[in-house]
Amino acid sequence: MAGVVAANSAAAAHAQSPDPRSTVVIVTGGEVTMPIPTLMEGPAANVANSEIADHLFLRLANLGPELITSGDRSFVPQLAKAWTRRDSVTLAFDLDERAQWQDGVPVTAQDVLFTLERARNPAIAPRLAELLRNVVSVTAENDRRVVFRFSHPYGEQLYDAVWHVAPLPAHLLDGIPPAQLRQSSFVGNPVGDGPYRWVRSVPGQFIELAANERFFLGRPGISRVVVRTASDPDARMNLILSRGADAMDNIPPPLSNLKRMGEDTEIRLIPVPSPTLGFLLFNQRDPVDTSRPHPVLTDRDVRRAIILSLDRTLLVRAVYGSYGEVPYGPTSAILWIRHGTPKPAGLDRAQARRLLSSRGWKDSDGDGVLDRDGMPLRLNLNYPSSSGARQQMALLAQQQLRQVGIDVVLRQFEFPLWSEHRNAGQFDIDFSATSQDPSPSGLTQGWSCGGGTNAAHYCNPTVDSLIERAIGSSDRAREAWHAALRQIEDDAPAAFLYAPSYVYAVHRRFGNVTIRPESSWLLLWKWTTGAPAARRDAGY
Amino acid sequence: MRRWLLHRTAQATVTLAIALLLIFFLMRLAPGDPLARLSEDRPLTPAQIEALRARFGLDRPVGAQFVSFVGGLAHGDLGTSIQYGRPVTALVSERIPATLLLGGTVLLLNFTVGVWLGVRQAVRRGGAADTTLTLLSLSAYATPSFWLGLVLAWLVGVKWHLLPAAGMEDPLLDPGAGWVAHAADVGRHLVLPALTLSIVSIAGTMRYQRSAMLEVLRLPYIVTAEAKGLPTRAVIWQHAWRNAFFPVLTLFGLWLPLLVTGSVFVESVFAWPGLGSLAVGAVGYRDYPLLMGTSLLAAAVVVTASLVSDLAYACLDPRVRFS
Repeated sequence: MAGVVAANSAAAAHAQSPDPRSTVVIVTGGEVTMPIPTLMEGPAANVANSEIADHLFLRLANLGPELITSGDRSFVPQLAKAWTRRDSVTLAFDLDERAQWQDGVPVTAQDVLFTLERARNPAIAPRLAELLRNVVSVTAENDRRVVFRFSHPYGEQLYDAVWHVAPLPAHLLDGIPPAQLRQSSFVGNPVGDGPYRWVRSVPGQFIELAANERFFLGRPGISRVVVRTASDPDARMNLILSRGADAMDNIPPPLSNLKRMGEDTEIRLIPVPSPTLGFLLFNQRDPVDTSRPHPVLTDRDVRRAIILSLDRTLLVRAVYGSYGEVPYGPTSAILWIRHGTPKPAGLDRAQARRLLSSRGWKDSDGDGVLDRDGMPLRLNLNYPSSSGARQQMALLAQQQLRQVGIDVVLRQFEFPLWSEHRNAGQFDIDFSATSQDPSPSGLTQGWSCGGGTNAAHYCNPTVDSLIERAIGSSDRAREAWHAALRQIEDDAPAAFLYAPSYVYAVHRRFGNVTIRPESSWLLLWKWTTGAPAARRDAGY
Repeated sequence: MRRWLLHRTAQATVTLAIALLLIFFLMRLAPGDPLARLSEDRPLTPAQIEALRARFGLDRPVGAQFVSFVGGLAHGDLGTSIQYGRPVTALVSERIPATLLLGGTVLLLNFTVGVWLGVRQAVRRGGAADTTLTLLSLSAYATPSFWLGLVLAWLVGVKWHLLPAAGMEDPLLDPGAGWVAHAADVGRHLVLPALTLSIVSIAGTMRYQRSAMLEVLRLPYIVTAEAKGLPTRAVIWQHAWRNAFFPVLTLFGLWLPLLVTGSVFVESVFAWPGLGSLAVGAVGYRDYPLLMGTSLLAAAVVVTASLVSDLAYACLDPRVRFS
């Protein structure tokens, strides 16, 4: 009798601990603190939270493989099984009747309404409210149909409706005042409708998710997901190489790290387009008195000469090897508008010298530095100490510019200090890097006259109107965006240096591995385990 | 003795208050916007930054911020972390166990192994063991702990797979596996970070203990004790070491803050979820509330350690007690 009881206990214990082969351990640098839609604001608006939220909460639709955010056709149904355009400002979504929350309650139109009401309230979710500013109403026609109305016709209506926020369970949350949701038990034990459910969190160490066996789009192939936190890149790589973790996002430069990981035959490296864009930003205002134009960099020919003096391909190769490219305009590798753009201008020192000479910059005293009216062509280049990639590129850029007689003084700052200088316009050239959303409409922030993050005060009304036209365009959006990019390239407000791919490390025992550029582990529920997968069985 | 204790406690309280003032205002004098890093993942517009500034009370005058901080402190509220968006007290209390475990293990190893080896060296001065240990301790003392950590993690964790390369526990261990299994698991994870920190600190303690012991061994009362025919063990440990321990006790007071601050680099290299890594993250983010919380805790431990050290002196040395 005792033996039977012991055997049963052992069996029960075994049942509670999933097969380690069916578990994936991901190691990441950021800590998951608040993976709840509408609460990922301010400090919580980070990649770590949003990537976990994507496992727990389903959007109405996801972006398609090409990441096209404009129009209604390039999206993949999720919570909404279909959508219909009623007119240029109205979209109706039909929810999948199979969808249910992890407590068994069906997902209804009320959940969508409840979430959008909170998301559009600037007092609750200021960032989301700004992103959803063009949504004027969300109504339910019945339990399964939701209708979105927009303020005006534009190309990314569907994207705005589905992408920024995933519905929350109204039946669990409508009794909680918005201000108290952050402190509620729901945050510690969220109930979603996605492929995984929340199991536990050990602060500072890891979180654990388990497969939602009732997930209506299919049973997840991986039964347990553990996301470990290790802020140090060496610690992350050591965890992968010691089999303390199975997958890691973004192996950082230097290239020796990639070599080290690549030598492990059980690990495969998967390059995935990243949202990162790095560029040398030319200040259009005098850093000493920002009300005046910059004494050197307001001259477009000087800016162009700087770009032509840089061997941007070499810079990218030196830091990212083959996992990066020189972008055309401010386009990271995840922006769909980059496809079909012209090739960026290459190194042309002769042309650079001609341009500088035509603007009066000559080496009159033979010291190797160009000068005009007794003023040497000397520019400060600010960069943050936290970025090894930018530090390495800044040194190389300094050497390259020296060859045409431009003296660049490198100024390294700790990140908060660098950011303070940048925001205050206290720089000649700023080595900036930004993380872009899949939507190109974000370009207004950095490259339009009134853009909120336009630290260099670059302003060309033609660009503004081209961007505005591109945002409003549905059918020929790509061409409209390309026109805006051409104008930006022509103005040369920055030297766009690198648009890298992130290189992910994933153990070969996982099959059907797909990593999405817009949310790394979004399709993890489709991964499988078993025999080591073939080399080509991975991608994005 | 009681008066002395009251006097020292009052002194410690004043020191802590001065530390609080200095930390608060110096932190705000340092350049760098505490909200800068929040726009690292997703760029924020100036309006959004201003809204956040108001939310964290950073738009108020520094004096008002100080009054608000002290008011909160009186109620055990250290504010909300800018980086994590969570109460600082919760963050700090989550990290304290890991820090105490690592720091406590290191201190224990430091003052048992370090003292014992230092005494052995002094007793056998000039011998092969002394020379070897001197060389080893000097080499260990000169070794940067972050470098040692990287080497140990790679060699023991990655190359030989003997111990976990990082983390504090195995996330795959069944939560219901029982405390013995969990303790063993944490113990395995503790070895490398504790060893990394201990090797360097033991070397320092050894050097101190050796010098102090050599000083004492030359004194006439030790010669007298030996001449009286006392056993060598009694001469060393009961007569010599009791006096030679005082300089090391001072060192103990200096090392005690390690319990709280841990080692930033070692915690990073081994992904150890302690206060040190929390504090360094707070510096990088200019996360004032979190930085205040961790700095205040560190200051409190330094002041307490100094008090405890003085108290230990007073208990062990009658001359200190009566003066």
